[in-house]
Amino acid sequence: MTTMHGNVLPKERKNWVWLVVLAVIATWPWFSGVFVLHLAILTCLNVLIVNGLSIIGRCGQRSFGHAAFAAIGAYVSVLLATLADWNILLAGLTGMLFSALVSFMLGWVILRLKGVYFVLVTFSFGELTRLALLDWSEITGGANGIANVAPAAIMGFVFDTRPRFYGLALAVALLSIWLMKKLFSSHFGHAIDAVSDNPALAESTGLSVHKIQLVAFVLGSSLAGLGGVLLARYIGYISPESFNTSASIAFITMFVIGGQRSIWGPLVGAVVLTPLPELFRGAVQTQNIFYGVALILILRFMPGGLVSLMTWLKGFRKAKQ
Amino acid sequence: MDWSVLLVQATINGLIIGLLYLLMAVGFTLVFGVMRMVNFAHGEFYMLGAVTVYFFTGVFHLPFLVSVALTFFGAIALGALLEWLILQPFRRDELNGMIVTVGLAMILQNVALIIVGPDPLSMPAVAEGTLQLGGIVVPNSRVYVVGFALLVLAMLYAFLRYSRPGRALRAVVEDFEIASIQGIRARVYYPLGFGLGVGLASIAGALMAPIFSVSPFVGAAPLLKAFIVVVLGGLGSIPGAAFAGLVLGLCESYASLFFDSSTADMFIFAAVMAMLVLRPKGLLGKGDA
Repeated sequence: MTTMHGNVLPKERKNWVWLVVLAVIATWPWFSGVFVLHLAILTCLNVLIVNGLSIIGRCGQRSFGHAAFAAIGAYVSVLLATLADWNILLAGLTGMLFSALVSFMLGWVILRLKGVYFVLVTFSFGELTRLALLDWSEITGGANGIANVAPAAIMGFVFDTRPRFYGLALAVALLSIWLMKKLFSSHFGHAIDAVSDNPALAESTGLSVHKIQLVAFVLGSSLAGLGGVLLARYIGYISPESFNTSASIAFITMFVIGGQRSIWGPLVGAVVLTPLPELFRGAVQTQNIFYGVALILILRFMPGGLVSLMTWLKGFRKAKQ
Repeated sequence: MDWSVLLVQATINGLIIGLLYLLMAVGFTLVFGVMRMVNFAHGEFYMLGAVTVYFFTGVFHLPFLVSVALTFFGAIALGALLEWLILQPFRRDELNGMIVTVGLAMILQNVALIIVGPDPLSMPAVAEGTLQLGGIVVPNSRVYVVGFALLVLAMLYAFLRYSRPGRALRAVVEDFEIASIQGIRARVYYPLGFGLGVGLASIAGALMAPIFSVSPFVGAAPLLKAFIVVVLGGLGSIPGAAFAGLVLGLCESYASLFFDSSTADMFIFAAVMAMLVLRPKGLLGKGDA
């Protein structure tokens, strides 16, 4: 991204300071008990999933069925491993691939139309996926879901404890952030930005808006699929309700509150909002009202999300010097 | 039972459900047309309509028709107020506006949950007895509901077609800029359009309350159906939404003779997707794709 100009050397050094701070924060959960570790794992998975939403969002689209793609990844990978006895790694990759495939088919149809159709259809798709999972109870277990999902294992190494799984989740979350950084500084990333700034202009310069949005949608939905695969392996249990519309809306909330235009938005949103339900334990209604109010206030007064606080602080410090 | 009787019965049920979808989808289209935003709070206004009518008739013992009228005008006022208070800065801001309505929906639903509680309430039927025509039996309460819904539609049609504010509203839906050039004041028509749109949702909820159960969660299903109807009818087209609402209601009712409801939903979703490929402007070809 080209938002940060400035001298090369001091910025490099500052980046190192940031990296050390982040590394300390990221290692902290390993030394602070099961509960923090649990929240940290969920946060990492949310970062991954909301990053997917962010790739789609950068094209000027909002997917209201994001949880459905996580559901597809989770169910396909778990069912392949239990029913067809597939290797867990292979089943997980296939689950992710399935999310990509379904999002490709859906996106090919709806992305040729106005942006609003995308919202309406992804929302409906999310609801119907949940209904389908409830309905095909012979395979999916219906409302009871599937319990006793075996822990993740890669090449014989089993991630069956929280500290181990946190390592995996952290690695995947960091990888997804790195991917985003690479993506948005690449040629394709600039094309995405061009499409979101002015689709008509982008089209007239020879970019295929439909193709770019489709690739972004498939890529973003695959990240959701991977998130679903990992979530199933971590919790050990999946049910249609883990991936309902409220889940999709929770991802959108993280995305918006974190910051819609920054690659750090999903990270900030997930870190701030994932532990929040613990504060409101037993008062789900109050928590949801808080989410609603926060969404409205953020969009009204801080449309760049919490990330924009950082740029604001930076400007403040510069003004002081 | 005779096959043809079953079919007629399904047609009547389909028309009732279709009227519900029609009211939801026309209100949604009105809001979308004026504000250019997808109103995710639309289902919650349906829920508010159902809950309010339940309390007006059950607790205050008002007659059903009076309760429905009070609910309708109350919803218009609340909608206009919320538009003015909350949505005003987001008018015609497609992306952020729709997320604001998501926030609004969360607030409305959870406030209702705190006040009413999560348990479904059931409302007494509006009328006793049944209407018998040949071999077909229709409960009187359903006949009433259909009658009221048709009355509302006739009034809405007259309002949009002949009254000055109605015509102005249609002009805003059609083309906002040209409407403002003609001297139509946005200051008035944004709150009015939003209020009227959610008023229609609330009246759908109010009319369906005696037929279905009432709880803070009842808004989700009609919202989903409104979305499907709007896609089916072509976005932004009021006649398209009305026609597609009835078609969807009838299709669902016939399909329920053969499949269970979620299988029917899958087929309908597949049909909608197929239609988006073949005929993206909607059933009547009037929407903007």
